[in-house]
Parts: sequence; structure tokens; C-alpha cells
Amino acid sequence: MRMMSLYKDKDTIIHKIDPLNKILYILASILITMLISDFKILTLTLVFSFLLLAIGKVIKNVFPIISFSLIVLVTIVVIQGLFNPNNKIPLFNIGQFVFYKEGIIYSFLLILRVLNILCAFSLLILTTKPSDLIENLVRRGLSPKLGYVLASVLQIIPQMLSTMDTILDAQRSRGLETEGKLIKRLKAFIPLIGPAVMNSLISTRERAMALEMRGFNSNIKKTFLNEHNETSMDKLIRYLIIALIIFTIVWRLVWLK
Amino acid sequence: MSKKLWSFKFSTASLVLIPAAVGINYIGKLFAGLLKLPLWLDSIGTMLASMLAGPIIGALSGAINNIIYGLTMDPISFVYAITSIAIGITVGILMYRGLIKNIYLAILSGIIVALVAAIVSTPINIAFWGGQTGNIWGDALFASLMAKKFPMWLASFLDEFVVDLPDKVASLVISFLIYKGLPKSLINLYSSDDEIERL
Repeated sequence: MRMMSLYKDKDTIIHKIDPLNKILYILASILITMLISDFKILTLTLVFSFLLLAIGKVIKNVFPIISFSLIVLVTIVVIQGLFNPNNKIPLFNIGQFVFYKEGIIYSFLLILRVLNILCAFSLLILTTKPSDLIENLVRRGLSPKLGYVLASVLQIIPQMLSTMDTILDAQRSRGLETEGKLIKRLKAFIPLIGPAVMNSLISTRERAMALEMRGFNSNIKKTFLNEHNETSMDKLIRYLIIALIIFTIVWRLVWLK
Repeated sequence: MSKKLWSFKFSTASLVLIPAAVGINYIGKLFAGLLKLPLWLDSIGTMLASMLAGPIIGALSGAINNIIYGLTMDPISFVYAITSIAIGITVGILMYRGLIKNIYLAILSGIIVALVAAIVSTPINIAFWGGQTGNIWGDALFASLMAKKFPMWLASFLDEFVVDLPDKVASLVISFLIYKGLPKSLINLYSSDDEIERL
């Protein structure tokens, strides 16, 4: 069964860092990219993220994630270059289309921002096992019930994928047409999704009963499967990131005046 | 009554509805891709969860949907969690007020949901993509509006709205049709309204 995760199991120092620190790193990254529009700083943070990804030995796994947004990033350059309302100085032209400097600069800033945020997220996603992340969040005060919900999504989706194939085969053998005109294909959607919905809703009833049998609603403090020791390095990293976030906000406030 | 609409006390049944809703969203998207439909249809689960268990469960389904997408496929979907939450809340309120009664009202509600989704998504689109959505048709409209010197927020809003409108209307109509076909015993399972009638 296909695992629902982008996690790459490797033994590096990045993998051992507390997931909470990686979440803080994402927050810092979003904050910096949204508050500061300086090419040098944004390039520096991007290089730093790539460096961390390289230490985590997951750098080549970042590119498929970036490629998700690649087409939009390319069209941003085209649309902003042509039509940005601040466009004044023509830079170059392709045929009759004139690209302007302001729009191109703005689009590169947007691209840098998106890449920064994507890399920060990738650091979390590629080097943290989703179940570890959820357990860590529950340990830090996330409701265990929500923790269960999150973890069970990761289980349920592969299960539903296999029922999806069953439904598709069953309906096709009854003569359901899944090709042809748009209206025909649109009509085929309901007989496909309907059984999938019924199936999953009925199984939620059984799941709910099974959970209640096992004391899901009991308010006694839950224990954890894995032991967790926060190292002093984790603490140090956390304070560093928090300091960085505060510094960015203060710097931006001073710089604005 | 209105207290119950916003209740944060979840029954086990409505909590396990959330993973099912996320799964339905995912399968809806896959089936839409399989049938080569020009729609995403990836919010049917969120809408059904809102219809069955109210706006809070709907909003949670939406948020968790995007968190899981973000963790397993495309990190950008994290930031669009806000849009999913808005969709869940809107459908939940519309349903509670009895506004999704027949297919025409479902279409009308779909338009409202599309409006809300577009309003919430526009600031995100402007911050991340300079106003684009990544959909070819929407972005073509965006480019032509920008060329005609429309304000960026309006062009961006229309870009998102033309993409959302057919998708959300179709999703809500499909969710409504499925909801109508569900047996009563399933619908009662999630309703928070647990009043006991005395003889």
C-alpha cells in the first residue's frame, strides 16, 4: 500500500531536530519573506534553507515539490512583466510584447518568496515522519482526539483509494460510461462518488463504536508510545529562531520609520 | 438552538466523520481527474461534513484536509486552509438556516460559497502569486483585466471567482444530491441535536 507521506527516512542531524523547531522555522520563513522585500536577504535565507536540506540529504526531493508551483511561477514573470500597473521602464521585447523592468523585479521577488516558503515547508515535510509530528504536537497540548483524527486521515486515504478502484470496476461492468462528452462524464461522477461516500460514512459508524468501546472519550491523561527527551540543542535552536522572529519584526518596524 | 450550532463538544461519530470527509475530498478530486472534468470537485467531503455535523466540524474537515495535503503533496495548500475553513463554515450555516432545501437553493448556495471562497482566497493569491490562481482560464482573464488597467485586487478576485463558481456550484449540488440519498439512520448519527421527547 502506498504510504501517504513525502517523508524520507534518513539518519541525519536534521531528522533528529524537534518537529516544533521546524514549524517555528516555517513561521520565521513566512514572516521574513512577507516583511522584508530585499533580494540579498531573501537569497541568503533561501541558500540557508537549501543548506539545511542538503545536510538532511533530501535536496533532490525538493524539486518535485517546487515543480508543483513551477507553471504559476513562470506565468507570474510573463503577466507581471507585461501588465504590472507600476511598469514604466521597458526592459526587452518579444515580438510586439514589451516586458518592463518593474514587473520583472516584482515577479522575481514573488518567486523568491514562494521558493523560501516552499523550502522551509519541505524541511519539515521531508525530514519528519507525520506520525512523529502528530505525537509531538499532542505532547505539547494538541487535543489527543484531534491527534487521532489527523493520524487516521493518513490511514484512511490509502484504504479509500483501494475502494475507489473497486467502485470503478463495479460501475464499469454495469455499463457506466466514463468517456465521451462532458455532460456524460459529469453524469458518471455521481455513481462513482456516491458509493465511495456511503462506504466511508458507514465505516465511520463502526469506527466510532469501536473507539468508544476502547475508552476514546475517557478523560484520563493519555500516555505515549515513544519516550521523548528534549535536548539542550533543541532548546537552543528554538530560542534562536524566536530571537530571529522578534529581531525581524523590530527591524521592520524601525526600518519603516 | 444557536448554541448547538457552534458547539465545540464533538461526539465520537462527528470526529471520525472528519477523516472520512478528507478522504471523500481526495477521492472526489481523483474521480474528477479520471473523468477529465474541468473541475476540481475536491471540497465535497468538507461540504458533506458541514451538512451532516455543522459548521465547526465542516471547518475542521476543511483545515485538516489542507494540512494533510500540505504534508503529503503540495506545501502551498497549507495557506489555503483558511479558504477551506470558510467553505466549511458557510455551508454549515446555510444548511442550519435551512437554505439548502432543493436543487435550486443548492445552486444559489453554491454561488454564495464561491463568493466567500473567492473573497478569502484573493488576499492569499495576491501575497503569493501577485494575484494569479494557477488556473489557465482564470489567469487568462486576470492578464486581460490587468492589460485593461483594472485594479489588481479586482482582477485577482474575478480570476478566482470564475474558477470557483462552476466548481463550488457543482460540488454543492453533488453534495446535496448525495445528502438527500443518505439513509436517516446515518444522518441522525452526526446531528448534535440530541433532544429527547417525553410522552
